[in-house]
Amino acid sequence: MVRHVIRKAAGWLLMIAVATNATYFLASWLLDPRSNYRELRPVRSEEQIDRALAPYNLDPREPLVHRWWDWFTSVTLHFDWGKSPTGVSVNGEVGYRALVSAELVILATVLSVVIGVALGVYTAARQYGWADRISQAVSVVVFNIPASVAALVVVFVAIWLNQHAGMHFLYVAGENSPDVEGLLPTIGDRLLHLIPPTASLTLMGYVGYHLTQRSLLLDTLGADFVRTAQATGLTRAQAIRRHALRTALIPTAASVAFSVPAVFTGAVITETVFGWNGMGRYFVQTIGKNDVHGAVATAAFAAALTAVGAILADIATVFLDPRVRVS
Amino acid sequence: MTLATPQLDPASHEGARPVLSVRDLRVTFPSEAGPVQAVRGVGFDLMPGRTLCVVGESGSGKSATAMGIMGLLPPSAGLSGRVLLEGQDLVGLDDRALSRIRGRSIGMVFQDPLSALTPIYSVGRLLSDALRVHQDLTRRAAWEQAVQLLDLVGIPDPRGRAAAFPHEFSGGMRQRVVIALAIANRPAVLVADEPTTALDVTVQAQILDVLRLAQRETGAGLVLITHDLGVVAGHADDVAVMYAGRFVEHADVTELFRRPAMPYTARLLAAVPTVDGGTRRPLVPIGGEPPALVDLPGGCPFAPRCAVALDACRTAEPELRQVPGHGEVACLRATEIADGSLDPKRDAAPVEPRSPEGRAAAGEVVLRVEDLVKTFPITKGAVLKRRIGTLHAVGGVGFELRAGETLALVGESGSGKTTTLLEILRLARPEGGRIEIAGTDVGTLDSAAAVRRLRRDVQIVMQDPLGALDPRMPVFHSLAEPLRAIGRDRAAVRTRVGELLALVGLDAAIGDRFPAALSGGQRQRVGIARALATEPKLLALDEPLSALDVSVQAGVINLLTRLKRELGLAYLVVAHDLAVVRYVSDRIAVMYLGHIVETGDTEAIFADPRHPYTRALLSAIPIPDPGRERTRERVVLTGEPPNAARPPEGCVFVDRCPLYREAGEELKRRCRTERPAQTAVPGSPGHRYACHAV
Amino acid sequence: MSSDATTDVPAGSAGRPDAEPPHPAPSAGPAAKPRTARPADPTAEPHAADPARPDTLPPHAADPAPAHAHLGLGRLYLRRFSRNRLAVAGAVIFALLVLFAAFGGRLTDHAYTDADFAALTQPPSGVHWFGTNQGGNDVYACAVHGLQRSLTIAVSVSVLTIVLAAVIGSGAAYFGGRTERATLAVIHFLLIVPSFLILALVSHRLAGDWRVLIVVLTVFGWMSTARVIWSVSTSLRERDYVKAAEFMGVGPLRIILRHIIPNLGSLLIVNLTLGVVATVLSETALSFLGFGVQTPDVSLGTMLADGATTVTSAPWLFAFPAGLLVLLTVSMTLIGDGLRDALDPTSATGSAGGRR
Repeated sequence: MVRHVIRKAAGWLLMIAVATNATYFLASWLLDPRSNYRELRPVRSEEQIDRALAPYNLDPREPLVHRWWDWFTSVTLHFDWGKSPTGVSVNGEVGYRALVSAELVILATVLSVVIGVALGVYTAARQYGWADRISQAVSVVVFNIPASVAALVVVFVAIWLNQHAGMHFLYVAGENSPDVEGLLPTIGDRLLHLIPPTASLTLMGYVGYHLTQRSLLLDTLGADFVRTAQATGLTRAQAIRRHALRTALIPTAASVAFSVPAVFTGAVITETVFGWNGMGRYFVQTIGKNDVHGAVATAAFAAALTAVGAILADIATVFLDPRVRVS
Repeated sequence: MTLATPQLDPASHEGARPVLSVRDLRVTFPSEAGPVQAVRGVGFDLMPGRTLCVVGESGSGKSATAMGIMGLLPPSAGLSGRVLLEGQDLVGLDDRALSRIRGRSIGMVFQDPLSALTPIYSVGRLLSDALRVHQDLTRRAAWEQAVQLLDLVGIPDPRGRAAAFPHEFSGGMRQRVVIALAIANRPAVLVADEPTTALDVTVQAQILDVLRLAQRETGAGLVLITHDLGVVAGHADDVAVMYAGRFVEHADVTELFRRPAMPYTARLLAAVPTVDGGTRRPLVPIGGEPPALVDLPGGCPFAPRCAVALDACRTAEPELRQVPGHGEVACLRATEIADGSLDPKRDAAPVEPRSPEGRAAAGEVVLRVEDLVKTFPITKGAVLKRRIGTLHAVGGVGFELRAGETLALVGESGSGKTTTLLEILRLARPEGGRIEIAGTDVGTLDSAAAVRRLRRDVQIVMQDPLGALDPRMPVFHSLAEPLRAIGRDRAAVRTRVGELLALVGLDAAIGDRFPAALSGGQRQRVGIARALATEPKLLALDEPLSALDVSVQAGVINLLTRLKRELGLAYLVVAHDLAVVRYVSDRIAVMYLGHIVETGDTEAIFADPRHPYTRALLSAIPIPDPGRERTRERVVLTGEPPNAARPPEGCVFVDRCPLYREAGEELKRRCRTERPAQTAVPGSPGHRYACHAV
Repeated sequence: MSSDATTDVPAGSAGRPDAEPPHPAPSAGPAAKPRTARPADPTAEPHAADPARPDTLPPHAADPAPAHAHLGLGRLYLRRFSRNRLAVAGAVIFALLVLFAAFGGRLTDHAYTDADFAALTQPPSGVHWFGTNQGGNDVYACAVHGLQRSLTIAVSVSVLTIVLAAVIGSGAAYFGGRTERATLAVIHFLLIVPSFLILALVSHRLAGDWRVLIVVLTVFGWMSTARVIWSVSTSLRERDYVKAAEFMGVGPLRIILRHIIPNLGSLLIVNLTLGVVATVLSETALSFLGFGVQTPDVSLGTMLADGATTVTSAPWLFAFPAGLLVLLTVSMTLIGDGLRDALDPTSATGSAGGRR
């Protein structure tokens, strides 16, 4: 098992390396760091701008291959992912923002999985009952709402609630208020900031789990072994719970394992709408600001977490499913 | 191991109360075309310790009957009638009440052991769960009982294997586990739905023995559902023949086989091929197809296929009624048939036996195979595959086939027979050895054009007639495809397709139909017609009959025989069923683990089988005659075919060989270390076998 | 990437490589497209009796044929589809949306580029049916144009993607060996590349032009579909009728075109409709973030972005495009589910207790 994981990890690492370097070239080609300085007053000459970019290894006069080599060695030797065109360290940014994203997404992921799987199981066992039909209809609609629409609806509702309650208790911008002091107030403040985006993310997230869990379980309900279990004297409900459900949960577990690392890459649109400075927003900002190094680091980070997710999913499957256990 | 099948239990069951009484059971399924009346009023009594075999062809409603009794039909199905189990009516009980009965009073063995066990639990866990549903046992006590049950059904090393998961067992072993599950709580009634259909014939014999043992241990009444009349002959006390959702004959097993009183039963018995000794009797095809169970017209459903039907048969469906000294029969003319004054097979033409002059007419060599070798890599991993072993599918097979001749490759699954066939059809240089088709060594074919030319000479008929036809292509296009592939123009294709349909006895109108709209027999005829499109010299037939019902089989055998005679074809048949093979082939090669262990003329093999494997194979096939089936000496093989990844160094059969076990030290050593050479049987030209011990 | 956008994309979301066959598609979103509507009656499928297993449970008494023989396949599909009321509703809504996008502009005198400086940020009225935005543009005209734009992009991307995916997926599966391994490696690689980030990168620089957006979305959108098609085709490749065709000397190209792709038919059609949904969502997400369609052009995504800041003060700016979007995606999903149930009898595996 350990050897299997190491072998897989090595394969992934190779692919991440290739993907990251490809992204570097693509980003260097498509992003223009000079634009960060063009709007500045006093107006600078092109040469001045290039000179300002030089310390950050972004000088366009330098051949691309040289810049890449410098970047590559600094990443491999010092794990230094470079600086933004304005001189901010990418490592520091990613480190901070990944935690902000995690704060935002972990709760939403847990809620999504719990609500989605529970709903999926509940409705699959009552296929075509009214609870199934209604939740199915709701989920189909929610599944098709663009994230931006959902987030804005939550914003709208939160503001409406605030106005209705006559006090400002739900925050729809930022991850905390700037002027809160003390431990408990800080925690309380952060929690209040957390509620609306979490609601939005959970709304978007539970649907997938609900619909897939429902159809996985329905597919398993027809399996011969469920009938065998009934023939040994279990009621249909017991046979479903003990035999079909356990089997149908394996793919879901793998899928949860897969999505866990994604909490660190955040949620682009939700963070944008709610103004959280997480990885998602960082990704938008790096591109908007023509930050080559930031964008590449985001890409590498995402690829690495995808790989971790895939390996976790493998491990989860092997752990839960005796059929694929490596002998 | 040689054992005689026990005689019918003579214990009288007079006065005993039936453990299971079914009255007027009806099952309907909704369908696109209207409700399918799968079961239309079935009734019987089952005495404790007795076996009722329900026999019928596909679609006769026998599985639906079983599920109806168990209360395991899908919710959309409609169920009515009465199922009295130990006096309690199961129809109309809710799931909770039924669950208290299922597993405790009535157990079930399912058809497909591969999917019948929950993959994520160990078999010990499955068994102890089944025990604890109905009995108040500690985990440990339940586990102990589970181990005992595994031992009872013949799982070697039951204590160790209890912790293993279903996928770590072979099909036969899994079916033993399913049987153990069914008898765990010593039910009064066992229902077994085609328990051996998915298994090899030698394993089938083992499983049927286990079932018999389980029944003896528990004293349960057994409802055994099967399509195999041989199994019926060997195991039934009473037999019920199902046709179109009803019992059409229900009688004592010896009576039924001795003198079937329902024309359908009589015709079925006449159509089933057998392996038993003496001369081969001719097969009589029934003709026609069973009716669809949607909107059945009035009258006897068998009347359209019946040779002795009266006008009255077509107006009202006959009730099942008592025929003196026989049992119950649903036929207006049962009394006449039972007293021998009417032959229900009247006017039916028997299958022509293989023409004796066939051998003499055998012409040029169409196919010569020498030392054919084929291995497959065993790999692991999906993205980065690595090879972890080699599967020796075929190891040094050689034979010759002449025009007008039929050679059958026979063996269990995994014996390499189909691989051999596919290697020949591949028309590429084999991994080892030589293949020569119509005088051309396929290894020397150097251009795609040459391969295409040779393709015309070799064609294949596949096992599953439905799977072999593209579901989205009408029959006409399926037949036209090989012709277009060799570049025929539109007009030529149209004429040839017409000829082909006529050749296999199909109506030209069938050309517009999709395969799903054809019956099994029609599909197989289309498959044969397509294979004949390019006028091949050699036809490879991969289990051409195994997917067909008995009543249809005989007709296809007939067709194949006629085509061979008319077109001078050579057939290479792959089959697992020696009984069928006997009717189609001139010569037989018995394969085991990639090697031919015995070869010879069909009659020589049947009359004087030499190799212990051939003998075992022959004796594993049940004979549809209760008298002979229950008295004959049987060679029952233990175990299952070994893994072809590690074939034994010496004789490939050594692990399961009954002779090896009785052999002396010196012989044992030879069997283990030395591959036996082919030995000729004196006085029987062409009959050879590979065994040290014979 | 596709419908990742539904659950809000993780930054630089990589698609989800469902790596091994025994390893089930680890995805709550795209790979395992959740089924929604199911046929009311699972056993009502006209599948023929499985010959390998005599007497399978719903017994199709020998021959279900006569009932269907004269009922053409197309008619049968139509009948099955039209029995699904939700699917029919979806089809009607979608048709109305298409009509609205095509002819809705004729009903008003305003063009989406016209700015009415006399009416900035006005709520819906008789003059401006959907109101106006901060720049004085007529929201109705913008919505018609935006819907047109979004539909054009979604349909073309979806068609291109499915064609690309079908050719690559079935080709890889049929030819096997080295071709297959190389193709899979490329797919696998493209799936780990954070495609949403690449998309944003590329369209940030090149887009604004919706035609470029179509190309970019296609180039980075075919992989997961190709993978699904590949895995289904590998089983088709093993079908007897494909082998039979090979043994009859039918060429590889012909086999792919006549036997494999037609038998993928239902999968392709369903993926086509769901692909439209996925593309709409991606395009919306990109445009919302400012990476997709750019001013002066208008799509539903850019309209959402415009309306985002004024959710409370000018809700109509946000409500109309959002409503159209949801109608579009929901109707397409209903159509897709209806088609799947109508075209593919074997997909009705949810039958409680019934065997396949």
